[in-house]
Amino acid sequence: MKPARFDYLRPADLPTALTALKEDTGAKPLSGGQSLGPMLNLRLARPSLLVHVGALPELRAVEERPDAILYGAAITHAEFEDGAVPDPTPGFLARIARGIAYRAVRNRGTIGGSLAHADPAADWPTTLAALGAQVSLVTLTSLTGHLTAPTLRREMPVEDFITGAFETALGEGEIVEGVVIPRCHGTARFGYRKSCRKVGEFAEAMCAVLYDPARGVFRLAIGATEARQVVIQDARFILQDVDKIDEVLREAGLAADPASFRLRRAVIREAIAALEPESLPA
Amino acid sequence: MNAVTHALSIEVNGRPIEAEVEPRQSLADFLREDLLLTGTHLGCEHGVCGACTILIDGAPARSCIAFPVALEGAKITTIEGLIDDPVMVELRAAFTREHALQCGFCTPGMLVMARDIVLRRPGLDTDAIRHELAGNLCRCTGYVGIIKAIQSVAAERAGEAPLVTRGTLVAPPLYASPLTLPVPPTSRIGIIEPQKAPAAAPEDAAFTIEPLRNPIEIVQEFDVGAPRATVWALFQDPARVIACLPGASLSEPSDGRSLKAEMRVKLGPMQAAFGGVGQISADPSTWSGAIDGRGVDARSATRVQARLVYRLEEKSENGTHVCVDVAYVLQGPLAQMSRGAIARDLAARLTGAFAANLDGAVKGGVLAPQAAPLDAGSLVLSLLKGWLARLFGRG
Repeated sequence: MKPARFDYLRPADLPTALTALKEDTGAKPLSGGQSLGPMLNLRLARPSLLVHVGALPELRAVEERPDAILYGAAITHAEFEDGAVPDPTPGFLARIARGIAYRAVRNRGTIGGSLAHADPAADWPTTLAALGAQVSLVTLTSLTGHLTAPTLRREMPVEDFITGAFETALGEGEIVEGVVIPRCHGTARFGYRKSCRKVGEFAEAMCAVLYDPARGVFRLAIGATEARQVVIQDARFILQDVDKIDEVLREAGLAADPASFRLRRAVIREAIAALEPESLPA
Repeated sequence: MNAVTHALSIEVNGRPIEAEVEPRQSLADFLREDLLLTGTHLGCEHGVCGACTILIDGAPARSCIAFPVALEGAKITTIEGLIDDPVMVELRAAFTREHALQCGFCTPGMLVMARDIVLRRPGLDTDAIRHELAGNLCRCTGYVGIIKAIQSVAAERAGEAPLVTRGTLVAPPLYASPLTLPVPPTSRIGIIEPQKAPAAAPEDAAFTIEPLRNPIEIVQEFDVGAPRATVWALFQDPARVIACLPGASLSEPSDGRSLKAEMRVKLGPMQAAFGGVGQISADPSTWSGAIDGRGVDARSATRVQARLVYRLEEKSENGTHVCVDVAYVLQGPLAQMSRGAIARDLAARLTGAFAANLDGAVKGGVLAPQAAPLDAGSLVLSLLKGWLARLFGRG
């Protein structure tokens, strides 16, 4: 239960971090380390080098934009929970953050790390997909001939970023720099449910629904699948007729096991039902 | 490979510490082994049980999955450093009064977490306390005494303003007994080079088939466009069967009855390379057979035991219906981390890829000499889905 040997780098700036990650194919970025730590201890992950990106100013930044807020990847779950950062929604982010694992984990774990880890049962990937968030990725353009290596950025929707269980669109030497969460209208509602055997454990079924008629957004995301999230961009047909979720689950291949099918169906129904009482802005 | 150490400046219980640490050393081990602060207990060592909870810059964290090398300049407070903390004084009295501990193993973590709960959310009711305390496991008390103790302290503080503990300073003990002060780290007695474990070659003993206990089962049926005899012949050739399994290869030539094989699996940051032995049996009269095997991933010590049963049905002159039942049991770290459903998904995709490769092999298609390790990425998945859709005429 001790990690295999690895080296550690605390980079002075972002280009140094990206260079180190690009030069050593065995290197892994370290943010809060709450998912990577257990994997290191169990020796399931054996990186040659950990590049500590969690303290870089770019990854700790918060930028308010007219239509969205950009959060650096290393903003912790606890910071969302405590309202230490602004919220572009009527309180949805704090509500989700409060349900992630345990406080001792939330104090260290980060939003960008959660996305990069891409655990299907994690809270952020499903929540952020439902909120229509974009992931901002950064990498180096080239390694040679530059004193200050230029960085290259790209943005993509969360549901495109996560390609499977623990699999993402991150390229070699590329890291998650931030997450851009669009502002919801003040009247927006959010329904969220997950089913865990024990509080803080990995979820077995999960659903997030965003109901924001002022912006014309009715998005539903099903998480804790065995692969990537199932995102329904216009879920009005489900909101009008809840029985339609059976069909959606069947099409997504999530109906094979009767017990898990029933659980998923119940969780989705509860998430939709929760739109009514819970998310009316105070 | 020599262990690289890094210089570290850190503050523990109010005392500055200069140390040289190896990157892989956990904070819990650093506190216990180097500073002799053994009040921090280690239970699961992968962030689940909460016994090792300490304060980093005032906020609770798991010390078993934190690395001191990444905590330059941080202020660490252990249970020893909270001896005079006014909230801790109340909590200790309450724990004694309510009989909130029995063996005491979880208690340091419980107290550190309890302090955070009553400060951050004063006046909490028992349900909410249970929720907040879910990350700390106790195997003796049934939690009743612990919850009562925390609730009594929380109730006393009901009127106080909530305090976010992140970034707060914890005052060091007023009088520190020598036992509660960190001992400066002793210079290391050199690095002990790890002894190379003897290459795993335990499988020379005769392989006996053992029944699988609570296996995960996957059934896959598909059609292959070739006569039954051709498909049957392929199944009798271990080298060709193994070549159809992504990431798998024979480690030595097979005699047709037993086989030694290796298999690489990748799931995100997790990688495993299973080496193992198997036994082949076939019953030509029923066009069916079985391959039994077991293997070990030498890196994580994850064990796998599997049984593959196949049955060939004649569909037409040039078509064979293949039924493959795979049952397997995964034990050890990989099973712990990857959880049932994801392992099942991966196994189902492996079986699917096996079917696709088999179809290609029967039709005389050329397979890559060494099938690439199955990457759980979307590419493989989409390829497979496309293939399955074509196969079942839905595409």
